[in-house]
Amino acid sequence: MQFTKTPIDARMKASRSRCKATAARFFRRAKASAEPSLRVLVVMVLAALLFPRGMAAQTAPAATNTCVACHATQQDQRIATPAALFSGSDVHRENGFKCADCHGGNPAATDKARAHDPAQQFKGRPAGQAIVGTCARCHSDAAFMRGFAPRQRVDQATEYAASVHGQQLAKGDHNVATCASCHGAHGVRRVSDAKSPVFPTNVANTCATCHADTTRMRGYKRPDGSPLPTQQFADFQKSVHYATLTKGHDLAAPTCNDCHGNHGAAPPGVGSVANVCGTCHAIFAQKFGTSVHKDIFDKGCVECHSNHAVLKPSDDMLAASGRGICATCHNADDKADKGAAAAVAMRGDIERLKTGIERTGALIGQIKKAGIEVSDQQLALREAGTKLTLARTEMHAFAPPQVATVVAEGDTIIAAVDKAGQNGVVELRYRRRGLFISLGAILFVVVTLGLKLRQIEHRA
Amino acid sequence: MNLGTWLDERLDLSGVRHFIAEKGVPVHTQKIWYYLGGMTLFLFGVQIFTGILLLLYYRPSASEAYESVQFIVTQVQFGWLIRNVHSWSANLLIGLAFAHFFSVFFLKSYRKPRELTWVTGILLLFLMLGFGFSGYLLPWDELAYFATKVGTGIAGAVPVVGHFTLRLLRGGDDVTGATLSRFYGLHVAILPAVTTALVALHLLFVQQQGMSVPLSIERKLKPGERLPQMRFFPNYILRDVLAWYVVLAVLAALAAFYPWELGTKADPFAVVPPGIRPEWYFLAMFHTLKLLPSHVLGVEGEHLGVVAFGMAALFLILVPFLDRRASRGEPSRAFTVLAVLGLVYLVTFTIIGHYAK
Repeated sequence: MQFTKTPIDARMKASRSRCKATAARFFRRAKASAEPSLRVLVVMVLAALLFPRGMAAQTAPAATNTCVACHATQQDQRIATPAALFSGSDVHRENGFKCADCHGGNPAATDKARAHDPAQQFKGRPAGQAIVGTCARCHSDAAFMRGFAPRQRVDQATEYAASVHGQQLAKGDHNVATCASCHGAHGVRRVSDAKSPVFPTNVANTCATCHADTTRMRGYKRPDGSPLPTQQFADFQKSVHYATLTKGHDLAAPTCNDCHGNHGAAPPGVGSVANVCGTCHAIFAQKFGTSVHKDIFDKGCVECHSNHAVLKPSDDMLAASGRGICATCHNADDKADKGAAAAVAMRGDIERLKTGIERTGALIGQIKKAGIEVSDQQLALREAGTKLTLARTEMHAFAPPQVATVVAEGDTIIAAVDKAGQNGVVELRYRRRGLFISLGAILFVVVTLGLKLRQIEHRA
Repeated sequence: MNLGTWLDERLDLSGVRHFIAEKGVPVHTQKIWYYLGGMTLFLFGVQIFTGILLLLYYRPSASEAYESVQFIVTQVQFGWLIRNVHSWSANLLIGLAFAHFFSVFFLKSYRKPRELTWVTGILLLFLMLGFGFSGYLLPWDELAYFATKVGTGIAGAVPVVGHFTLRLLRGGDDVTGATLSRFYGLHVAILPAVTTALVALHLLFVQQQGMSVPLSIERKLKPGERLPQMRFFPNYILRDVLAWYVVLAVLAALAAFYPWELGTKADPFAVVPPGIRPEWYFLAMFHTLKLLPSHVLGVEGEHLGVVAFGMAALFLILVPFLDRRASRGEPSRAFTVLAVLGLVYLVTFTIIGHYAK
């Protein structure tokens, strides 16, 4: 059988011809036997029955595809399961493709020998490079793909060939991932389908199927000759990226393919780590690019933040003593260590602003609770918070004066808010004092009235 | 010549003097309920006074309302106090009006010959709820905006005239600056005018007919026996003023310690914030409508609920004419049970509505 890229057209055409012929026979009989008004009714009913909306999307009669019918009834699950999966949610089946479009053979045949006839290009189960070739026949054809998914890229096979997976496969290593390893072979879902193994929240699990398998990864080495690690997934699960993706439900958070590429998967080179991180953290990468560390850090961002286990950064990292990251290279006790002095200066500035925001925020919260209108002060506090974020960003240039400038702007804002907060406290005391004086006056009047009443009633 | 003599020569106040000198208030174990009406009246006066002061700075437009209230509470001398007193007084007023209503209901004070006093009182209660509903939107903050949307939407569920009522209230299909203008007009002109007239009528009836003696006490009196009387002036009036001062002290403490928060400015394009609910005095009604199924016997649940509330309001107005036993001076347990059920329903559904998500 010749592989066809427009299988549904032919089936629809045949189906429509049969429908029209049946309708014509009915029309002739109805014309001969019925009254004019009844004829009109018959025509309308038949038209509705024979040409329903969405008929084109319906599957062709079972007679033209016996693969699923036969495979689904097999006891051997290796044969039955693919048929069941293909009959379920499968983007290819939903677009009119059939088993024979990938596996070859004769889908109209009712016996196994004719259905699996090599003369009908029956290929059986493709493996290794044949899988990539089978998928690429359509997915690398821009003209063909335009009819189904015009915005989809068609260079996956080219990218795959350049990937570590593709290169290993070309060397004859059939242990590596091919298209079906990640996307599935049957029951293939769209990438945007949350149940797809390549949906953003599922990608890490899909990669981990192989990369967390120590047996499978045994023997593979990194460019430096060290064994390929298998704890990446465990590390990634500890990361802020994983938490944002899975707990924060933010699909923009990165997973494996955002840094390694998907079809062209490969570890980013040591020199390009900053570029990879800078794809999202652009300002940090820009500041880091101007820093003294740019030429010193072999692994760029990874030196401080790690790669897979990127933890939520904290100000504690900026310290040249204790558990501070800077202490790895710098010594706070060494007065001649400029790096340590810079870390101490920047941390001091950031802590001062942070403490100021917390203290003033508490004051504003306190007077707000007591009824003083503080919306302007809350706005200013948010502005100070922005300055703190900017100072933390500026820190990546490792230039204390730049951090000090931003922190000074934040300090000015905090000073103004603090003054307003103190005024609020004074106002609050004034209100409370006024209330107690008023209550005293009211109590006096109440007592006087009570006495007067008693006097009047006593007199009466 | 003093002012009294001067006025007497011109207006002949002997009738008024005689009325004041002769008027008495019956003394019995349940006379404490008499003071609720006076306290409600006092709070109405506070509302008028603080409302007029707020009017000096308030600007009734969608672009300026919120900012003007913010200006009142931050910049205007004692503006925060006036606004807080106005807001708290409104809530206390409605609370006391309800208490007054239930006390009259339980004591059967609506019975002949005080039917019209009851009718004006019920109408005043509805007007107070109208004040609350229209005043809630005026600061043009987020909660008030969306609550008004829900509230006017319920008005829109009234069969036949619902859509017309909704458009009349909103000044269009949605809650906009036009709605604010209408609510402002309603709050500061129409409702005060009608309320003042009804209050005058209500007080006139009360003065004309005197205080009602509770049915249970009246039935214990022997033929020809009369309850001891307290002089209206100055004994009762002084007691009333004393109660007003107590209310004033509570009001001042609430205004100073629990200020009425001004939320964020209303944004018609914002996402509806969670937990939108009306003021507490509409919660029971709101929660009942929420609990109703979408359709009951083929009729839309909300329509049915609104009609039921309308019927209940009509029933309340007609209570003195329906309770024939009370009119004859006989105990009417059915109406007492109804009052208990109504009170339990209001309290329970208000609490449930408050905690419901």
